[in-house]
Amino acid sequence: MSANIKRHRTGLGGIAFAVIRPVMSLIDIPLRALQRATGQGGMASFFILPNMAVFTIFVLIPFAINFVYSMTGGIEIFLNQRDFVGAEHYRDIFTCGSYLDPASCRRDGFWTAAQNTTLFVILQVTLLIIVSLITALILNRQIIGRSFWRAMFFFPVLLSPVVVGLIWRWILQRDGLLNFVLLEAFGAEQFNWLTDRTAAFAATIGVSIWAHMGFYTLILLAGLQAIPKDLYEAAEMDGTSKSRVFRRITLPLLMPNLIVVLVLALIKAVQVFDEVYVLTGGGPGTSTMYLVQYIYEKGFASELRNPGLAAAASIIMGAVLVVLTLMQMAASRRNEKKGER
Amino acid sequence: MGRITLEKLTKSYGSVEILHGIDLDIQDGEFVVFVGPSGCGKSTLLRQIAGLDKPTSGELKINGKLVNDVPAADRGLAMVFQSYALYPHMSVRQNLAFGLENARMPKAEIDSRIAEAARMLEIGDYLDRRPGQLSGGQRQRVAIGRAIVRNPTAFLLDEPLSNLDAELRISMRAELSALHQRLKTTMIYVTHDQIEAMTLANRIVVLRKGNIEQVGTPLELYNRPANRFVAGFIGAPSMNFLPGSILAVNLVDTVVTVLGEETLAVPRPAETAEAGEKITVGVRPQHIRLAGPGEDCIGAKVTLVEALGAETVVHARVSTGELLLAVLAGQHALSAGEDIRLTFDAKDLHLFGGDGLRIAGT
Ligand SMILES: Nc1ncnc2c1ncn2[C@@H]1O[C@H](COP(=O)(O)OP(=O)(O)OP(=O)(O)O)[C@@H](O)[C@H]1O
Ligand SMILES: [Mg+2]
Repeated sequence: MSANIKRHRTGLGGIAFAVIRPVMSLIDIPLRALQRATGQGGMASFFILPNMAVFTIFVLIPFAINFVYSMTGGIEIFLNQRDFVGAEHYRDIFTCGSYLDPASCRRDGFWTAAQNTTLFVILQVTLLIIVSLITALILNRQIIGRSFWRAMFFFPVLLSPVVVGLIWRWILQRDGLLNFVLLEAFGAEQFNWLTDRTAAFAATIGVSIWAHMGFYTLILLAGLQAIPKDLYEAAEMDGTSKSRVFRRITLPLLMPNLIVVLVLALIKAVQVFDEVYVLTGGGPGTSTMYLVQYIYEKGFASELRNPGLAAAASIIMGAVLVVLTLMQMAASRRNEKKGER
Repeated sequence: MGRITLEKLTKSYGSVEILHGIDLDIQDGEFVVFVGPSGCGKSTLLRQIAGLDKPTSGELKINGKLVNDVPAADRGLAMVFQSYALYPHMSVRQNLAFGLENARMPKAEIDSRIAEAARMLEIGDYLDRRPGQLSGGQRQRVAIGRAIVRNPTAFLLDEPLSNLDAELRISMRAELSALHQRLKTTMIYVTHDQIEAMTLANRIVVLRKGNIEQVGTPLELYNRPANRFVAGFIGAPSMNFLPGSILAVNLVDTVVTVLGEETLAVPRPAETAEAGEKITVGVRPQHIRLAGPGEDCIGAKVTLVEALGAETVVHARVSTGELLLAVLAGQHALSAGEDIRLTFDAKDLHLFGGDGLRIAGT
C-alpha cells in the first residue's frame, strides 16, 4: 500500500492523486458504514443499483408500457386518452384465412412484412455466414496486404446504416453509378434496380450483407486464429485432404464462433430496418417491407396510425426473438458439452 | 527401413539463413537426438525432414530416394509434437484412427492397429475419452500412439516430454527407450535437455546456430568433446574452463600448466600444438578433488557450498578470478571464505586451442 502511494507522488499522477485522495477518504466513510450495516451481499447490490436503475428506466418500464399500449386502441398518443381493448389487436393479427396467404388476413400488412422478413432472414443469414466464413478463411491465409483487406472488410461496419442506405441508393438508382458503368462499358440499357420487385429484394439482402459481414468475418477470423497451427501440421503429416481438414478440424473447432455469429446475425436480421428504409423505403409496393418498418409506420408515420397494433406487433416480434435466442443458447450449450476440452 | 540422409541442407526464412549446410547420415533403426540451445534450429531441421517445410538448398533422402519435393504425407514419417497436437474434439480412438482413415485403410485393420497400440502404450482404458479429459502423461501416450499406428519408417519427436513434470519425464523417457528397443524403428528426437539426449540416444547431434558441432555416441561426446561448445554443453554441471599453456609436447604426452600453478602431463601427445602456446584447459566438476598434503595443486577460495549428501558441490574462485565448480564425492566440512587446494588427474583434462577446437591428438 505504501509503495503504491509513493509511486503516485510525482508528476501528473501525483497531482491527480493529491486531489482524489481526500475525496476518496471522504466517500470512504459512508461506504464503510454501509458495508458494516449491510454486509458484503448488500454492498454488491448497492454497486449494481445504478446499472439496474438505467435498465429499469430505459428497458423494463418502456417494455411494460408497450405491453399496456398493445391492449389499447385509437390513434391518440397519451395512454390516458386511449381505450382499453384487451387482446383485440392480437386477435386481429391472428385472424387469417391462411397464414401463408397475407391477403386472407385481417392485418395483411403485418403478414406481408412477416413473410418478407422470414424470407429475408433465411437468405440473408445463410449467405452472410457463408460469405463471412469464406472471407475469414481467405484472410486467415498468408495473403499479401492481409491487414489492409481486413480493414477494408470491416470498414462498412463503422458506417451509420443511413449512410449505407444512401451510398447504395446512389449506386443502384435509375441514374446511379451502376447503370452508368454498365452503360459506359456495355451500352446496357438502364435497369431500375430499386423498382424491380426481385432486384430490390435482392439488393436489400446484398447491401445488409455488405454492411455487416466485416463484423462477423472478424469473429470467425479470431476463431480460426485460435485453432493451433500444430493441428493442421499433424493433419498434414497424416495426409489429410484439404476438404477433410476443413470438415473434420476447422469446422468443428470453429463451431462455438459460428454459433455466436448465427445468433447475432439472426437477431440483427429480424430487426432489419434502417439501411433498407433509406434504400428502398419498403418498396416497390410492399416487396421490401419488413416487420420493423411495418411497426414503425403503424406506430408513428402513416396516416392510418395505430399505435396499439404496432405495440402488439412488436411484442409478437419480441417473442419470436426470445424463442430464437433460447434455441441458440440450447444449441450452444449442447455443443459445449459435446466439445468439452 | 528408415535411413535418412541429409546433404548440404540449408534453410532460409527470407534473407536469414537458419540452417547452414547440414550433412548427416542416420542409419536404419538408430535413435538420434538433436540437442542444442534454444533457437539453434533443431525444430527447423526436424520440420525439413518431416516435410512441413521445404529446404532452401541441399538434398534430403529417405532410403536413398530424394524426397525434397515429396509431400509430408508421402514420406512415411510420423511426428509427435511438443504440444501433442491431438484433435481436441475427437475421442482418443478417433485421434488414432484419423490418419489411417485418410489412407482408406479397412475398418478391421484400423481397429486391430489401434488395439495393438493401446496395449503397447496402456491407453486402452480411455480410448473413448477426449484429450481434454486426460492427464499430460496420458495425452503424451496418445500422441505417440497416433504415430505408432501409422507404422512409419521413422518417428520424428519434437521435445515430446517438455510439457511433463520432472518425475513423469523420467518414466516416459524410460518407456520411450523401451519402445525403441521393441519397434527398432528409426527415431529422431529433438530436445534441449542434455540428460534426455545422453540417456536416449544411440547418437547425439549437437547443433549450434544452424551448424552441427559434433555427432557421436553419448560417451564419445562426453569423453572427447570436439570443441569447447560441446564440452560445455554436454555434462552437468558444465565443464570448467581455465587458462593454461603448453610447456612441452613429447612422444607420449603433452605437458601443460594450468593457471601457471599446477603442471600436469596429459598422457596424449598433441599433434598440432607447440610448446608455449596458450590454451584453454577443460575439466569436469566431477574430476576435481581436494589435493592431499604436498600434492601439486591450484589454490581457490570457497564462495558457496551445496551439500547434497552423496556429493558436495563447491563453488570456488581461483587466483585469476574465474569461478570453478567442483563436485566432490561424499560430505566435506567446508564453508564459504575458506581457502582450499584443488587438483585433478592429467588424464581427465581436455585441451582446447585458441580457435575453441580440441587440440588434435589430446
Ligand atoms: N517460420 C519462421 N520464420 C522465420 N524465422 C524462423 C521461423 N521458424 C523459426 N525461425 C527462426 O529459426 C531459428 C531456429 O528456430 P527453431 O524453432 O528451429 O529453434 P529450436 O532449436 O527448435 O529452439 P527451441 O529449443 O527453442 O525449440 C530461430 O532463430 C527462429 O527465430
Ligand atoms: Mg524447437
